[in-house]
Amino acid sequence: MELTITKNATCTFCGCVCDDIELHSDGERITHTKAACVLGASWFKNHTAEHLYPDALIDGKPATVDEAIELAADILYDADMPLIYGLSNITCEAQRESVGLAEMVGGIIDSHTSL
Amino acid sequence: MGGKVTCTLGEVKNRADLVIYWGGNPAECHPRHFTKYALMPKGKFVPNGRKDRTMILVDIRETPSAKAADIFLQIKPTKDFEMITVLRAIIKEQPVDPAIVAEIGLSLEQLRDLADRMKKAKFGVMFFGMGLSMTRGKHMNSAALLTLAAELNAFTKFVAMPMRGHGNVTGGDVIMRWMTGYPFGVNLARGYPRFNPGEFSTIDMLIRGDCDAALILGADPGATMPQPAIDHLARVPTITLDPKVTHTSRISRVHITTAVTGISAPGTAYRMDEIPLPLRPALKSPYPTDEEVLRRIRQKIACKPLQLPPTVPMMTDAE
Repeated sequence: MELTITKNATCTFCGCVCDDIELHSDGERITHTKAACVLGASWFKNHTAEHLYPDALIDGKPATVDEAIELAADILYDADMPLIYGLSNITCEAQRESVGLAEMVGGIIDSHTSL
Repeated sequence: MGGKVTCTLGEVKNRADLVIYWGGNPAECHPRHFTKYALMPKGKFVPNGRKDRTMILVDIRETPSAKAADIFLQIKPTKDFEMITVLRAIIKEQPVDPAIVAEIGLSLEQLRDLADRMKKAKFGVMFFGMGLSMTRGKHMNSAALLTLAAELNAFTKFVAMPMRGHGNVTGGDVIMRWMTGYPFGVNLARGYPRFNPGEFSTIDMLIRGDCDAALILGADPGATMPQPAIDHLARVPTITLDPKVTHTSRISRVHITTAVTGISAPGTAYRMDEIPLPLRPALKSPYPTDEEVLRRIRQKIACKPLQLPPTVPMMTDAE
């Protein structure tokens, strides 16, 4: 197993978004963190590159991503007032896509800020 | 910045000699806030680091953060707004009602001392947490605190900053503000953005049963929201995008597993002081990113007949 070191990695666990973390990984999981706090270290170590979950689920049954995307598009298109919610643990690029999607389907978009 | 008097954490590090945490527990919730940004670092105008700063904690109970504070002010629950208002009065040398001071749970001397320290600081900063913004008074508390910070600028430099919780929740505000003009709770049903918290905010929408489909991403309302809101999510077709199969996924029609932001998905995230930072993922995920899945959903919908009147130009066309 080859050890890769990622320097100045950014932690997105809390709002501090520390960007001085060093991560050691073996390609599948992060084995060691430097400079991260207890919350950050557990965040990095608890997410692996393993295929632990099915790619997609439809009504609780495993499905392909293509089928799931097709059905998701149908649901959002057919809805009169779709709600898009969350946006906290995704990138700004994905947030931009979500706002575009909300406009396209004429829905409501909201984040954790409203809680 | 939405009109608030604020600054970056870099300015706090280099300048702040009075640091006030209000209704938050950074020692446990933002463990590196003290050491990396606000309290311990040596800065240009605070060369001795912690020794040059005074730290005050305002909270309703003695949390582990109180150990790091020079002064801990324990107030009675739900009296934040009263305390801020009394402070504003003292700062403007107005008389205050002793009955209201008694309600707060502090003595007038303690409040006068705090007001005095605020006015005498070279650079003061107030970090406020959910203990202020999510208790009785809610956004009115935040508004009062931001007004206090603005008013203190008649005497010295003073700023306020919210202690944001989840990773890129600040980015959500910034992106929505950039694209729609409003930070959250935006309704685009008429083809142009409308903002009305309480009407278009998620919990209110779900409890009233106003939406007939939901797309949940980077959140797990199935584990955190009030039961009537969860019931409505289970009633309508819900789509969840998450790196794990969550409580929300279990009540959803569609779940798509996505790569983890910052660990296996690249992109940008905003820090609580609205500084964008690049993500440097260390792993390669077997799953697609949220961005990719959303783009593909948009492409699918783009193939269908347009629902909006063709005379309304799309904001996103101008990208």
